[in-house]
Amino acid sequence: MNAPRSARFGVPLVLAGLVLVAGVLIPGFMSRANLTTILLHVSINGIIALGSTFVIITAGIDLSVGSVVGLAGVLTAATLTSGEVLRLLGPGGAALAAGVVGIAAGAAVGLLNGSIVARLGVAPFIVTLATMTAARGAARLVTGGVPIGFPDPGDPLYAGKVAALDALHTVGGGRIPVPGLPTGFPGPALVMLALIALGAFVLTRTRFGRHVYAVGGNEEASRLSGVAVGRVKLATYAISGGCAGLAAVLLVGQLRSGGPDAGMLYELNAIAAAVIGGTSLFGGIGTAWGALTGALLIGVLNNGLDLLGVQSFWQEIAKGVIILLAVLFDVWMKRADARRRARAGRT
Amino acid sequence: MTPVPATSGPTEAPLLVLRGVTKRFPGVVALDDVDLAVRAGRVHGLVGENGAGKSTLLKIVAGADRPDAGTVQLDGRAMSFAAPREALAVGITVIYQELSLVPQLGAEANIFLGMEPARHGILDRATSSARARAALDTLGADFDPQTPTGELSVAEQQLVELARALARDARLIALDEPTAALSHLETERLFDQVRRLCARGIAVVFVSHRLEEIRRLADDITVLRDGRRVFSGAVADVDDAGIIRHMVGRDVEYARLPSAAPGAGEPLLDVRALARGRAFADVSLSVRPGEIVGLAGLVGAGRTEVARCIAGADRPDAGGMTLAGSPFHPASPRDAIARGVVYLPEDRKTQGLVLGMSVRENVTLAALERFSRFGVIQSKSEGEAASRQTGVVELRPPDIEREAGTLSGGNQQKVVLAKWLLTDAALLIFDEPTRGVDVATKVELHRLIRSLADAGKAILVISSELPEILALADRIVVMREGRVAGELAGSGATAERVLALALPASHAA
Repeated sequence: MNAPRSARFGVPLVLAGLVLVAGVLIPGFMSRANLTTILLHVSINGIIALGSTFVIITAGIDLSVGSVVGLAGVLTAATLTSGEVLRLLGPGGAALAAGVVGIAAGAAVGLLNGSIVARLGVAPFIVTLATMTAARGAARLVTGGVPIGFPDPGDPLYAGKVAALDALHTVGGGRIPVPGLPTGFPGPALVMLALIALGAFVLTRTRFGRHVYAVGGNEEASRLSGVAVGRVKLATYAISGGCAGLAAVLLVGQLRSGGPDAGMLYELNAIAAAVIGGTSLFGGIGTAWGALTGALLIGVLNNGLDLLGVQSFWQEIAKGVIILLAVLFDVWMKRADARRRARAGRT
Repeated sequence: MTPVPATSGPTEAPLLVLRGVTKRFPGVVALDDVDLAVRAGRVHGLVGENGAGKSTLLKIVAGADRPDAGTVQLDGRAMSFAAPREALAVGITVIYQELSLVPQLGAEANIFLGMEPARHGILDRATSSARARAALDTLGADFDPQTPTGELSVAEQQLVELARALARDARLIALDEPTAALSHLETERLFDQVRRLCARGIAVVFVSHRLEEIRRLADDITVLRDGRRVFSGAVADVDDAGIIRHMVGRDVEYARLPSAAPGAGEPLLDVRALARGRAFADVSLSVRPGEIVGLAGLVGAGRTEVARCIAGADRPDAGGMTLAGSPFHPASPRDAIARGVVYLPEDRKTQGLVLGMSVRENVTLAALERFSRFGVIQSKSEGEAASRQTGVVELRPPDIEREAGTLSGGNQQKVVLAKWLLTDAALLIFDEPTRGVDVATKVELHRLIRSLADAGKAILVISSELPEILALADRIVVMREGRVAGELAGSGATAERVLALALPASHAA
C-alpha cells in the first residue's frame, strides 16, 4: 500500500537469500541457538529502528536516539539501584519503576524534539543533533562519567541492588522457555516482535498511522485536509524517543549496568535498518516490517561474518556497502515510479 | 550549422519534420503515427485534450523520450536524440510548464547554466553579463539579471527560460501551456515576446488549452486526439467550433448552467471588510446556500488570498466573518472544516492530494474519524465510502486503489472533490477548479458543481477563465488589485463587463 515493491518483496528476498547462503556455507549458522542469538542481537536496533521509521515516514529524522539510550539507560540504572526506591518498592517494584523511568525519559526527549520541530519549525536534523549532544552530556553529568550498575560487595544494600538488577535482567537478558529451544527464546526479541507487530498495526490500520503517511507524503495537502500536522509530528518523535527509552531499559537489564556512553552511533544503525527496509528519507513511504527486515539483514550479515571469523573492520565495510545498495535500490524504485507517473499523467 | 534566415515564408521547407512518430507505453499508445511539420519564423499551435499526447510529442522533440517508430528531421537531416542535451545542441529548446530554473541563482547564471563562458575554468563574468543583458533586452525584460529567479514572477521566470533559449541560439522553441499561470497582461506580453522570436526566424511550438490564444498567436495548428493527429493546417482555415470538434470528436456545449433553486434567504457566509497585509483590503462578500458566487479578477488580484483566509489556511489582519449567523474566525483549516468550510486549492498536486497515496486514502483523509473506531480504521466502511464518492464524481476508471499521482488532471480534481463531498461541507471554495482539465471533463465538473449548489451547498468559485465564471456563477464578485471592484448578477453578465471591472483603470477601455 504505502511501500514500494522493494520494501514488500525486494529486501525480504535479499534477506532470505542471505540466510540460505549463510546456512549452506557456514556451519552452525542454522542452529536454533545461533538463530535466537541473531534475534537477540537485533532486538535493540529493531526497536529503535521502529521508532525511527515513524519519524522518517513524516520526512523527519531523529539523530538523538543513540544518546537517549545512554541517558535513559543511566536513569534506569540509577532508579534500579537507588536506596530509597528499593526501600519503598522492593527489588521487583524497583525494576518496574526503573522501566517506567527509562521509557518516560526517552519519550520526554522525544516530546522536546517534536515540539521544537512542530511548533517552531526548526529542521529535524538540527533539533535532534542538538538534543543528541545535550542528552549525551546529561548522561555523563548524571553519572560523573562512570557506569551505574553492579554494587560493591561492601555496599549495605548489596543484596537488594543485585536482586533488582536480576529482576530487570529477566526481561532484558532472560530466556523464555520454549519446547525445542534448548536456550529458550530471548526476552528482548519477543518484545521487539510484539512491538513491530503493534507498530505495523498502528501504521496501517489506525487514523494516526494514515496521518503519518499523509504528512510525509504531502504536508500542505494534509494541513488543508484538516490533519493536525504538528500533533502528528510531535507524536512520532515521542514514539521514537519512547522506543529508544525502552531499548535502553532492555540494554540495562541485559548488561546489569547503565553506562553514559551506551548507545553510541545507535541512531545511525537505526536509520540504516529503516532505509534498508524500504523507508524513504523523503517521507511518505515505509513500513514497520521494513524496520525489522532491515535490522535482521544487518544482524544476519554481522553474525555470518562473525562465524566466518571475518575481522570486524571488514564487517563495517560490508555493512556500508549494504546500506549504499539499499539506498540505490530506493532511488532506482523512485525513478521507475516517476517514469510510471509521467506516462500516466501525460497530456 | 546552417545560417538562420531572418524571415521565412510558408513556402519554404519546414524546419522540423516528424513522420509517423509512434510511442507506446505499457497498456497505452501515447502517439500513433503522428506527422508534424513546423516552419521557421512561424508559431505552430498544438492542441488536444488531456491524454491526447501533446506532452509525449514535446518530449520526443526535446530528446527526453525516444519514439518507438517514425523519424524526426531537422533541416532535412534525420535526428536521433539520446538525451535532451543533444536536442539542445542542435537548437531545440522545450520550455515545460514546470520551469527548470535554479531558484537561488539569478537570471544571468540560469541563462548560462551548463555552458558558462569561462577561461581556464574561471567564469568570464563580463561576457556572460553582456550576453545575458542582450538576450533579456531582446525580449524586453527589465528586471535585474542578478535577482534570484525564485523571487521573480512566473512570467519573468518564463522570460529567463526564453532568454536562455536565445543565448543558446535556439532555432525551435516549444512552450508547454506557458499561459496557464499568467495573468491577462502577462499573457499579452508573452505573445509579444513570442512574435519577436518569430521575427528572428525562430520556429515556435505553442501548446495551449485556450483556443482564443491559439487563434491570436498561431499561424498553423495541429490537433491531437487519443495520440493521433486529427487535423493540421493554417489557423485561418478553421473556426473554433471546428477545432473543438476535432479535439473531442463531437460538438461540446459550453452553455450556462442555470440554478434550479436560486439562492434565497440569509447568507451562509458573510465576509465584512476583510483585509490581510498587502494582499487585499476591505473585501466584503456573501454566499447563500444553493448559490454559486464567482470570484473573478486577474491573477494577483487577491482572490486566492481571500479564499485562504475563509478556509482558515491564513489569518486576516482585519475585518470579520460570520457563518450561519455566528462569528467565524478559523485558526486553521481544521477549524474551518469542523464548521463545514472547505477549500479546493488551485494546485492539486502540491496542496490538494497526497500523490503517493491511493485514491481511497486521499478521499477519506479529511473524514477519517467517521471510519474509525477508537482510532482504528474500519477498512470495509472506508472502502465503501470511497467507492460511493468516486461514483458520485464519476471517476474513470473507478479504481480506488490506484495511486493518485498516476491520474490525469481532471481525475485528480475529481478525487479532491470526492474528498470534500465526504466531509458534508456546507460551503465549498473552488480555486481554479478546471485548470489543466480537458474540455469534456470541464463541462462535467461544471455540472457537478451546479448539482452541489442545487443540493443546497453554498459555493464560491475562483476562476481566471471568464467563460467558466459566466457559465457557472449566479453572482459574480470582481476583484481588482486586492479590492472588490464590483458585483454583477450572473445571468446578465458579459465578458466585457467583467473585464471592465477587473482591469486596472489605466487599461480599462
